[in-house]
Amino acid sequence: MIKTKQFSALQVGVVWQRFNGLLDETAHVFVRTSFSSVVRDNWDMAVCLMDSQGRLFAQSSRSVPSFIGSMPRTLKVMLKRFPKETLSPGDVVISNDAYHGTGHLNDITMIRPVFRNGKLIAFLGSVFHSVDIGGAPSVTARDSFEEGLTIPVSKILIKGVKNEDVIAFMTENLRAPEETFGDIGAQFSAYELGIQRLIKILDDEQIDDLDLLVEEILGRSEAAMRKAISAVPDGTYSDEIMLDGFEEPLKIRCEVCISGSDLSVDFSGTSAQINRPVNSVLNYTVAYSAYAIKCAFDPYTPNNEGSFRPITITAPEGSLLNPLRPAPVWARHLTGHYLPPVIFSALAQLIPDRIIADCGSPVWNVYFAGKLDDGQRFIKMFFMNGGHGARPHQDGPPCLSFPSNIATVPIEQFENSVPIMITEKSLIPDSGGAGEFRGGQAQRLSFKITSEDPVTMTIRHERVKYPPRGLLGGKAGSPGCDYVNGERIPAKIRMDLKNDDVVTFDTPGGGGIGRPETRATDMIISDIDSGAVTKEAAERDYDFQFKEVLLGG
Amino acid sequence: MANGYRLGVDIGGTFTDLVMVDLSNGKLFDEKVLTTPDDPSLGVIEGVEKILKANNIHPSKLKHIIHGTTLVANAIIERRGSKVALITTQGFRDIQEIGTELRYDTYDLFMEMPVPLVTRLWRYEVSERIRADGQIITALDESSVVEVARAIASSDVDAVAVSLLHSYQNPSHERRIREILKQEAPNAIVCISSDVMPEIGEYERTSTTICNAYVLPTFTRYLARLTRRFHEMGIDKELYLMLSDGGTVHESTAAIYPIRLVQSGPAGGVQAAAAINKVVADGDSQGDILCFDMGGTTAKACLVEDGNPMHANEFEVARIFRGKKGSGIPLKIPVIDMIEIGAGGGSIAHLDNLDLIQVGPQSASADPGPACYGLGGLGATVTDADLILGYLAADNFLGGDMQLDIEASKAAVKNTIADPLGLSIVDAAWAIHETVNESMAQAAAIHALEKAKRITDYTMIPIGGAGPVHACNIALKLNLSKIVCPPGAGVASALGFLVSPTSFTTVQGGVVPLSRLNFKKAIRQILDMEAQGRKLITAAGESESSIGVKVLASMRYIGQGYNVEVGMTKAVLIAEDAEAIRQLFEAVYLTQFGRIEPDMAVEIVSWRVVTAGPTPEIDLAVARSVPQSDDCSKGHRQIYFGPKNGFVSAPVYARSKVQVGREFVGAAIFEERESTIVVPPGSHSHVDKALNLIINLPVKDEVEFS
Repeated sequence: MIKTKQFSALQVGVVWQRFNGLLDETAHVFVRTSFSSVVRDNWDMAVCLMDSQGRLFAQSSRSVPSFIGSMPRTLKVMLKRFPKETLSPGDVVISNDAYHGTGHLNDITMIRPVFRNGKLIAFLGSVFHSVDIGGAPSVTARDSFEEGLTIPVSKILIKGVKNEDVIAFMTENLRAPEETFGDIGAQFSAYELGIQRLIKILDDEQIDDLDLLVEEILGRSEAAMRKAISAVPDGTYSDEIMLDGFEEPLKIRCEVCISGSDLSVDFSGTSAQINRPVNSVLNYTVAYSAYAIKCAFDPYTPNNEGSFRPITITAPEGSLLNPLRPAPVWARHLTGHYLPPVIFSALAQLIPDRIIADCGSPVWNVYFAGKLDDGQRFIKMFFMNGGHGARPHQDGPPCLSFPSNIATVPIEQFENSVPIMITEKSLIPDSGGAGEFRGGQAQRLSFKITSEDPVTMTIRHERVKYPPRGLLGGKAGSPGCDYVNGERIPAKIRMDLKNDDVVTFDTPGGGGIGRPETRATDMIISDIDSGAVTKEAAERDYDFQFKEVLLGG
Repeated sequence: MANGYRLGVDIGGTFTDLVMVDLSNGKLFDEKVLTTPDDPSLGVIEGVEKILKANNIHPSKLKHIIHGTTLVANAIIERRGSKVALITTQGFRDIQEIGTELRYDTYDLFMEMPVPLVTRLWRYEVSERIRADGQIITALDESSVVEVARAIASSDVDAVAVSLLHSYQNPSHERRIREILKQEAPNAIVCISSDVMPEIGEYERTSTTICNAYVLPTFTRYLARLTRRFHEMGIDKELYLMLSDGGTVHESTAAIYPIRLVQSGPAGGVQAAAAINKVVADGDSQGDILCFDMGGTTAKACLVEDGNPMHANEFEVARIFRGKKGSGIPLKIPVIDMIEIGAGGGSIAHLDNLDLIQVGPQSASADPGPACYGLGGLGATVTDADLILGYLAADNFLGGDMQLDIEASKAAVKNTIADPLGLSIVDAAWAIHETVNESMAQAAAIHALEKAKRITDYTMIPIGGAGPVHACNIALKLNLSKIVCPPGAGVASALGFLVSPTSFTTVQGGVVPLSRLNFKKAIRQILDMEAQGRKLITAAGESESSIGVKVLASMRYIGQGYNVEVGMTKAVLIAEDAEAIRQLFEAVYLTQFGRIEPDMAVEIVSWRVVTAGPTPEIDLAVARSVPQSDDCSKGHRQIYFGPKNGFVSAPVYARSKVQVGREFVGAAIFEERESTIVVPPGSHSHVDKALNLIINLPVKDEVEFS
């Protein structure tokens, strides 16, 4: 029996691997049996394990970054309402409180206590995106009450039995309760697997005290992060980034302070919260900030709370990044996706080898709503990514999703489901910011309406006024642009389109890194050959006339 | 019984394996020679000469040669294919470069993306457009095609891939482009997507077509070379090739669809495992199997149910980052569904930034190889750990042809793992062994979950050089209790070729809601596909009456993004019974997903018709020469079985001399030329009539998810 604090590297390695594996298995069961396409196709979910002290020590490997680290904070709030001694085997606690959870009401968090020999030893938790949560979320929402139902911290299962009151409340307030409860049920069965696997690992490895092992795992993760932070010089590094915003632009200011093995990020100087649904609650701010720091300092350690112990994230109350209730929050990604780029640019001088230039994000999307031939209504969402920022030693890839990870929709699938034809999906020349390493190219997508009934289109695009920035002497990528029949339209709009109308989206291009004059000649030539850069732009941005000699005209 | 011999030849990364069966009495012969990467046909010829000579057989006695090769996969992995141009619909030439837009790693800012096989310069657009329902909206602008064709004719392009939007619904534009290319650029090889893979999904269909064009010239040149060399040695038989889905085809078919050979070797291994399992007595196997194939750089696992390997319609080739899903090129081809794990005997262990042991993805490959090869390798590999733990013997590697240097293994483990962690060398070696086994077990468990299979009552059949060494430990982690170790595990793929039927899968896509299915059109399509398949199978020498036909529909609920494969009968189609089709779909859906959606409409995405000749029978129970004496004992040696058991003095046996019916209790080692079977303490093992070693592992408490 292992009772000492000393775990061998083998035991920690293998058991940790098994913990991560068990969560991936649990996530698979959930995804495989889920009802909604956001879970099944986009994996907009996460499963986590926390020890009896609520410390997150393992998380399913495939999920979007918004869920990093939010669950322990949600658990803390849950435990205030239901202290540990009031929890029983088979209980499941639920909440979607945007301000205690992941930042908008659509994400529902559930946590189930795990008992072994009558003792509470861990919490298995999961979070998923419910497409509908009641209310009327939209860009015009003025407070979070408009954005749907808030489920206060409640037990949805009590000792394995459904709490019909909670379920009735939710059912009455949701438009598609079958889908949401289908996904909830899928998680209940996934928990069974997860708990069995966890107990088996503890039995196999004869581990009496899980918390001790967790401390070991967190300690190693913390040490790795501290080592990475210590390796860079102390100092304070700051930068700011402008957001297109609504009537007025918005600003995010960030100051990164490195002191020994500690790193803090503070967002003082950021715009105040606004009455539009782009406010990012602190949990969401922390998730995307922590994600950026993990990418830059320690990308390979499996996700757990230890990595984030050396890191403090703060934002002033009442700001865009730490709003007060009931500020609307539904589309908080339009703000949160700016956090990695502003943290990277603040750190660019310090760790130029570990950051990337701005990507063409927040992710662009479009909703089309209309009628099919048979009169049935449809709502279809289409995602399209901009160019990826240049990397310190490589060009940015074209149209790659960052910081969220959302795939595009295949054209033939799309055209099979709605009366809209895609007439172009192509890389835009000169869209990647110039630099020693060029930003990734953006794409143009054109949609032609082919239905007699009008189609309502909703877009909310950023990076139209303020394009993705270059770093370390690199130039900005091209700004995004929206057109209907060749005429510019606002980037945040809801409008009706009629038959034969063509709407075109030019997503933003990635920023460049390094001074364009230092770009290798053969890379410029190959860009001209491939059409990524036109001759005119090469002349303008890369001083190409000098190099024309090499091309022989 | 017929006279003559059937020969299977598998070209692997390191070795070319040959297995030959004497058709008059069912006896099997093996041979193994080094692969000759610059011209693989040389290695094949060397192997064939060797196996014929060793058994005193005249070349003219060879009746049938079935061949599988890594050539196709390697051409793509190593980017050694031909120069390809792409012709596509106006506005869409960048589809391959844009891809799915998904990152395959969440945290890695610097991940590399696969470079498109066709550079932008060689991607041409032509004016034309077909709608999702197959209707032509914009006619093909033939003058622009002629222009493109002339540009191609005057270039050094070898092959052209043509892939237009919705061509799976209406191939007329692609066919017309092929005609024009034939006139204007007669030297270019042309592959059109509606022929290579007529299914919805422009990205995957186009990349499959491009890959087919990319490997086709290389592959046909290779075939011609091999045929010439066979002629020179007096063999004038036509060749048959192994496909990735477990079927074999005549060389003329393979030359049209070479991309379908991309996983031919591994498919052969699974086919062999399925055949071996057939002759295992009921009590010794439990029917369904987990085939576990572990080689030098990768391991693969596959589920076989009721004798049928699980199939898939997608495969990703040439993954560029740690074997990670999404880092390769997607193909839509029929394959045996396997999970691949980027670790094998040659994988190198290292400490990560948390001071924890990681194994792979770096591999020592054949040169310098593991430290114990003594060729200068300094990294501690899985093979080095296996040697230190006593699983491998220094003087029995490749039957003793290669002496292993255990001191070099110890030094590598000491320097890179044991000393930095303050562990003993044995503990460090055990940690490497455990870590790699844990990765394999987890990958297999998740694969089974994805397929909604409970595998605790599956029998494991380990093949490949490293498979039998690790099988028992992995099985214990998966709660499997039975393992069947066949003789000749190291040449299993080539054996698999001999037991695979001539078979070809034709595909026709066209998304249609079940409620609007035009049954007459569907039946006509299916009969056309069947006729095409029958033509190929009879051309390969099978009689019309021996051909079996299977019809499958890819189906889903409308709105879903993935399909399930549903077995159809012509009867329900002729009866135009939509409700029966829905029931067939829901039965499959229910087993895979545990529920159905009664209110949602169903659609058919594509049809597949599998036409197959008879499965060649080899009686594996009589195939191997039975040892006459019982002097199999090679003494004892110290084997490490984890901290609970420590070193155990275990008997060592020469596998080839163990007689039918022998029983063993407890830990043991069985040495073969190409591999070693490691049996843990507490096991009961015996040898069945086909010389399989049947291992019953000590039963652990069952933990099962329901």
